[in-house]
Amino acid sequence: MSIITRSPFLFRINTGSCNGCDVELATTAMIPRYDVERLGCRYTGSPKHADILLVTGPITARSKSYLVEVLDELPNPFVVVAVGTCPTSCGIFRDSYAIEGPLDKYVQVDVNVPGCPPRPQAIIDGVAKALEIWKQKIRNQK
Amino acid sequence: MSGFLKIAIRNLLKGPVTDPYPFGKTFIPEKLRGKLKVDASICTACGTCQEVCPSGAIYIKKENDVYVHTTWYNTCCFCGNCEFFCPTGAIKLTNDFHTANTKEEKFKFVTIAAISEKECPVCGNKFVPATLPLIEKSYPHINDEIKNLMKLCPECRKKAAFERLYQ
Repeated sequence: MSIITRSPFLFRINTGSCNGCDVELATTAMIPRYDVERLGCRYTGSPKHADILLVTGPITARSKSYLVEVLDELPNPFVVVAVGTCPTSCGIFRDSYAIEGPLDKYVQVDVNVPGCPPRPQAIIDGVAKALEIWKQKIRNQK
Repeated sequence: MSGFLKIAIRNLLKGPVTDPYPFGKTFIPEKLRGKLKVDASICTACGTCQEVCPSGAIYIKKENDVYVHTTWYNTCCFCGNCEFFCPTGAIKLTNDFHTANTKEEKFKFVTIAAISEKECPVCGNKFVPATLPLIEKSYPHINDEIKNLMKLCPECRKKAAFERLYQ
């Protein structure tokens, strides 16, 4: 069994979210109360460094191209986490002409965290699950 | 200087502010809107929750003699409309916020309640009877007569009510 020596980086993208989930993500990451870095991961500013992708928003027609760009730039293996009800299944925005979601259309989503918005604790749960899947993926790759 | 020392000592005694979750317990507000809990013994399968759900998370389907009430959380926006509009008070939102699920569980992440039909003692037709919380809303005083009428199917109830009038 090999030991993973690197820590995963998180990258988040807002695809037309109402900012509710983004505020919760900022809460999980930035303030010491929920501190997602305890799990051994950090936020990064570039998708090229990212191992775990957090997506918020129902993927509007305007933001779709940016999402596809980010998905192309991610290094392998990567894990995708859908944060909120919107990317998971489009929720209340389903069947709208401006929505190109859900996220399953573009990439295999590994972890779904529904909620409107999900609690910071639920997001931490999701990230913890994503970490497990990421470790498994790296083991499979070797 | 003494003010600063006071704050420093107080903070030292308080310990870290970080929430111990997922390694320990966390604070959950009592009124948090989380997963649903459907009381199948009170529910009458009227379909109000399915009608008012803005995201179409609730689905009621009849299978043989049982109404199956399904809630799929991956499209639920936890607005609480179902609880607000439920005429019987069968639906209650709990404060269970654990919603993270993997892609294998995506379409299995549901709660299911089965509301079974009952047989009319007079004609033998199957129907879902009105339940006590619903009757309590419509009648100020509930006597045994009303309780006996509750057990009959709508057709037999109509007959019984008219017979009572002309006696």
